[in-house]
Amino acid sequence: MNKTKKLVFMALLAAISLGIWAAEAQIPPIVPVPGIKLGLANIVTLTAMALLGRRAAGDVLIVRIVLGSLFAGSFSAILFSLAGGALAWGVMALTIGRFDDKKLWVVSVFGAVAHNAGELGAAVVVTRTASLLWYGPVLLASGIVTGAFTGIAAAYLVRAVKPFVQRL
Amino acid sequence: MKNKTWFWILLFAVLAAAGAGVYLLRGGGGTMADIYVDGELYKRVDLTAVAVPYDIPVKTQYGYNVVHVEHGAVSVIRSDCPEQICVHQGAITDSRVPIVCLPHHLVIQIEEP
Repeated sequence: MNKTKKLVFMALLAAISLGIWAAEAQIPPIVPVPGIKLGLANIVTLTAMALLGRRAAGDVLIVRIVLGSLFAGSFSAILFSLAGGALAWGVMALTIGRFDDKKLWVVSVFGAVAHNAGELGAAVVVTRTASLLWYGPVLLASGIVTGAFTGIAAAYLVRAVKPFVQRL
Repeated sequence: MKNKTWFWILLFAVLAAAGAGVYLLRGGGGTMADIYVDGELYKRVDLTAVAVPYDIPVKTQYGYNVVHVEHGAVSVIRSDCPEQICVHQGAITDSRVPIVCLPHHLVIQIEEP
C-alpha cells in the first residue's frame, strides 16, 4: 500500500470511528452507571491497529478524540478521553503482537479495561475523591464484557476487510 | 492453541465475576447524601429526614448544578455542563454508585451516618 492510499484509508477509518462514536453518544445509557458504555468506536481503533499498525491506529484515535470532543464535548472531556484513549492504545500496542487475528478480543479486553482505568484515574485526580476507586471493580467487569464484544466485532471486520486492504 | 483460548476466557470470566461480586456485595445501605466539590464536603443531607422534596443549588467556580433530594433518593436535575451525564443518570438510592459531574468536580455519594 503506498503512502497516499494509506492516508486515505486512515482518513476513512477516522471518519467511520467519529460517526460510530457520535451515534453511540446518542444512545441512552444501558445501565445507570456512568463510565459504562460499549465503546463501539474502539472496533475501528483495533481494526486500524491490526491492519495498518500501531502508529496508524494511534493517529486515527487522536483524530477521533480531538474532533469528537470539539463537536460534542468540552475541554475537560478531551482530557478524559485522552487519558483513557492513550492508556488503551498503549496496552493494546503492547499486547497485539502476542495474539493472532482470531484472538483480537483478548487485546480488546485489555484495551477496554485500560481505558476504564485511565478514565477512573483521571476522575479521582480531578474530583480529588479517592473513594471513587470503589468503582474500580465494576468498571473492571464492564470493561471485560464490553471489550470482548467490541473485540469480536473487530475480528469479524478485520477478516472481512483484510483481503481488500492487501489488494490496495 | 485451543487451550490458550480457554485460559483467557476463564481468566476474564473469573475477573469479571469478582468485579461484579465486589460491586453487588459491597454495602448498598446508607442514608446520608454527601455532596463533594473538589473532594471537600459541600453539604450533607439526611435523606430519611426529607419529607418534602427540595432542590439544592450547587454553584461553584466550575459551574452550576441543581441537586434534587427526596425521601431516600438524590439526583442531579440540572447542570450547565456539556455532557449531562450526571443528569441522565437519574436518582441514586444506595451507596453502590456515586453521581459524578466531572467537569464541575462534583461527587454525590450516599454514605452511612
